[in-house]
Amino acid sequence: MANYAMVLNYKNCINCKACEVACKEENGILLGAEKHRIWVGSMNPEGEWPFLSIASATFLPSQCQQCENAPCQDVCPTQATYYDKNGVVQVDSEKCILCSYCMVACPYDARYVDDRTMTIDKCTFCSDTRLARGETTTACQATCPTKVRTFGDLDDPNSEVSQILRTKEHFTLKPHIGTKPKLFYII
Amino acid sequence: MKIEVSRRKFLQGSVALSVVGGASFGVTSLIAEEEEQGELSITTKTGTGKAKLVPTLCEMCVNKCAAIARVENGVVTKLDPNPMFPKSKNMLCPRGNAGIQALYDPDRLKSPMIRIGEKGEGKFKKVTWDEAYNAILNGTDKFPGMAKILDEEQDNRSSFLFCAGEGMAEHTFKTFYGAFGSANWLNHSSICLQTVSAAYNLTLGAYPGADLGNATYVIMAGANRAEAIVTPDTMSIFKKTKGRGTKLVCIDPRFTNTAAKADEWLPINPGTDLAFVLALTYVTLKEELYNKEYVEANFNDFEAYKNHIISHNYTPEWAEKITSIPAKEIYKIAREFMQNAPKAIYYPGRRSTFGANDFQLRRATAIFQALGGGIDAKGGLVFGKKLDLGTHEGISPLYFQASSRALEETKKGEHAKDSIAIIGDGGSWIAWRNRFLENRMPYKVRGMFVYKHNPMMNMPNTNKTAQMMKKMELTVVIDTMPSDTVMYADVVLPECTYLERTDPVNTFAGVEPSIAQRNKVIEPMYDSKPVMEILRGLTQKISKPLFDITKKYDMDVQDSLTKLTTTAVSEDTNSTNIASSDSNATMSTAPKSEEDIFAEFDISLPFKESQEKINEQMVLEFYGEEAVKALKEHGVFYPNMKQFFKQISANEYQYYPEKERAYTVNGGAPKTTSGKVECNLVFLAEKGIDAMPTWKNEYLFKVPKGKFRMLTGRHAQYTQTGTANNAILHDLMPSNYVWINKRVAKDMGIEFGDEVEVSSTTGKTTIKAYPTEQVAPNVVFFIHGFGQESKELTWAYKNGGRDNAVITDNVEPVYGAAAMHETNVEIRKV
Repeated sequence: MANYAMVLNYKNCINCKACEVACKEENGILLGAEKHRIWVGSMNPEGEWPFLSIASATFLPSQCQQCENAPCQDVCPTQATYYDKNGVVQVDSEKCILCSYCMVACPYDARYVDDRTMTIDKCTFCSDTRLARGETTTACQATCPTKVRTFGDLDDPNSEVSQILRTKEHFTLKPHIGTKPKLFYII
Repeated sequence: MKIEVSRRKFLQGSVALSVVGGASFGVTSLIAEEEEQGELSITTKTGTGKAKLVPTLCEMCVNKCAAIARVENGVVTKLDPNPMFPKSKNMLCPRGNAGIQALYDPDRLKSPMIRIGEKGEGKFKKVTWDEAYNAILNGTDKFPGMAKILDEEQDNRSSFLFCAGEGMAEHTFKTFYGAFGSANWLNHSSICLQTVSAAYNLTLGAYPGADLGNATYVIMAGANRAEAIVTPDTMSIFKKTKGRGTKLVCIDPRFTNTAAKADEWLPINPGTDLAFVLALTYVTLKEELYNKEYVEANFNDFEAYKNHIISHNYTPEWAEKITSIPAKEIYKIAREFMQNAPKAIYYPGRRSTFGANDFQLRRATAIFQALGGGIDAKGGLVFGKKLDLGTHEGISPLYFQASSRALEETKKGEHAKDSIAIIGDGGSWIAWRNRFLENRMPYKVRGMFVYKHNPMMNMPNTNKTAQMMKKMELTVVIDTMPSDTVMYADVVLPECTYLERTDPVNTFAGVEPSIAQRNKVIEPMYDSKPVMEILRGLTQKISKPLFDITKKYDMDVQDSLTKLTTTAVSEDTNSTNIASSDSNATMSTAPKSEEDIFAEFDISLPFKESQEKINEQMVLEFYGEEAVKALKEHGVFYPNMKQFFKQISANEYQYYPEKERAYTVNGGAPKTTSGKVECNLVFLAEKGIDAMPTWKNEYLFKVPKGKFRMLTGRHAQYTQTGTANNAILHDLMPSNYVWINKRVAKDMGIEFGDEVEVSSTTGKTTIKAYPTEQVAPNVVFFIHGFGQESKELTWAYKNGGRDNAVITDNVEPVYGAAAMHETNVEIRKV
């Protein structure tokens, strides 16, 4: 039993996409630009040459926000989307009927179709690969050159994620819609 | 073609592909008579059962980051970062992760081949290794063998050229070059670090590292660490920029990802960085901001340099006109840099040569750095420590008939237009190629060996390289992939990938030095082999026949043989006892038989033992069994590793405690022979090269109206040409695009994705357009490595624009390095 979350020191991100490849390799994600569990959002700098805004040129690594109130879980007609014992949003491929309600409902565009398992898949914090083997990091965290991510248990006050969240200002994505994401971005 | 079908399917992203390991892979159609089978492997989900974990070193670029390969049922399912290596710390970049797709690339070279079509046509016949070696020695009806060429050239070993790309096994190939006895060696350096490395060596006595983790102020000019990843530099700097401890000033003609992560970005006119550095130096000297104590103790010819800078009036106002960087910014940067020094770094960079003044630019930068005293110091440039390794001796027989190298240095007082002042170890590829084509060589060079090197893609002016490849009578290429260069080979020898071989153990100097080893993860697939084994087989085949040619022409060998007969050797010498360790001993005593003399010329000797065995010997004498064990188990070793290495947090590790780190190894002094910073290199003046960095008007940035200056560069998801066929990287960026200023593109009616032709006086290429404000109106840019012509590359074939078809083959005058950013181009919508 844990309450898994992730802290992202997003200012470290250089948009190298090591995390995207590591995720695909670890979790056997199919090729194709549309098939991904995680991604790096990038903003081109505002302004005209040579007056370009460094401040506007940001990279925002992202993935399933592991919402406490996940809209994808709410709308799933077959209960294929569910919470596991660690608070991670999972998909049961046996129950998924590819209705794609979850894809529409997700405010973060974190769902994609896995053509092989015929499931609307998503990030699971490497639950059935790394965590199942007893590892304590996700593939995206482990591989990152500038160490954007820290993964851990929110219920453990001594975990690194808990400590970072107590000491660093942070925000979540689209907090106003009440999804209560468990991905926290450090300012 | 089945692979084509599969490819189209997954690009559409609609059809499932089988996810399987190596065993089911078929072959491509490179060899006419073979059929394709199997399907493309893409990714394999890692399991929770039994797995073998093997520490290795990545070879997807030059960094050699440490990885741990996960092997399940004989299939490599994942590459994870190995946290024990101080150089790469605990990371693997996208290319490092994509090593699996390099291993399971369906287009790999799978067996030896010999040419049956015309040169460059790419028609080959599959042969056995022995047949391939035999073809190298004796030729076929399509090409002459080595024996014929050497016989006709009267054992002039320099009638063969040897070329290599960068890599841990370059050493093994170079050992072959040394034993073969040629004087013609060309490697990647003249399209790589040649000028920067040489300039720092001549000025500071070494090409230093940069302690970015402890610097508080960093100028990164023409270096793009966010995209051209270098470990540990990339990891050190970007956790601290954006007001978090290190101020990063990025100077670049483009707005790169490094610019996005910097605290300040100043666009500069391409090729004018020298004026910027000279102006920084002017401010520093004029305002006396430099570290007087340091300069007093560690500079040669400081006064001469000071007078040179001041008398030339290299003011920020002067530099503004040349660089476009506002004078007030130059004043500010010089002052801030010197306030932060010695914990301030003008980053030396790690890249190809920009233009004619590159050597002088790097010299000026090194001297500017030294003015702040940030040399051999924490937070500055660092020499670091290097852990010793034993040696693996090659052999270098003396061939009487071997000519010295074909490319000659400028003689004193002679300054021909394309002369080269100093020929470095790696040579000048372009100068060599061009003189060869123009028949300006002092003797005939007729054959070439190419290892892990792709000159057809990498050398400016592709046409000329193609002509050179056609003119070579015998070309042997050792590679993993059917590259454009392979298409011009007469004999192709398939090397296995880095995950299928153990490479020479290596020592990595730095503030936190270590030794690391690439361990074989799985057995070589198909009929591929490590270069060590390839050369073992080849040299065993050719050693004796080549000695017979040597006997025919080599006066020294003939002398020795004559002495044998005159002393009438009666005893029957047992030749089977001659092993590598004995050969030196035999040399020192008078030879008793022809076998003794042959032992000196037996070029198979350096390849007799396995790489694993050689590696053991190289560490045993210094560090004992502990090191041998650590390198096998962890891939990494350094003294006291067990005691020092600690995990600090989920992401961070300690390699050495602070007091053990080698920030200062030379008392803060440069490592030149004089022990001083060399401002004034008088010996260069004798060859027509400026002894002190001097601006010349010919360096001005000039682009005629309607044209663009073309820049090339690197990318976080691609390494030069080597990764262009990688399925998963292709997924991240399917092609290269030419950056063109948005407003200019609009005026020209060019929209995103439009095909445009980029052309110069050298040639042309077609590429898709990427209109952006991130580039100046008179500059265009695209990344190197795309637009390959080898049909055997599923993903890379005719994909994107080929920079070297367009880049003019200018060389800079000091080392003859390729000047990559001097070409003006036209753009036309097609």
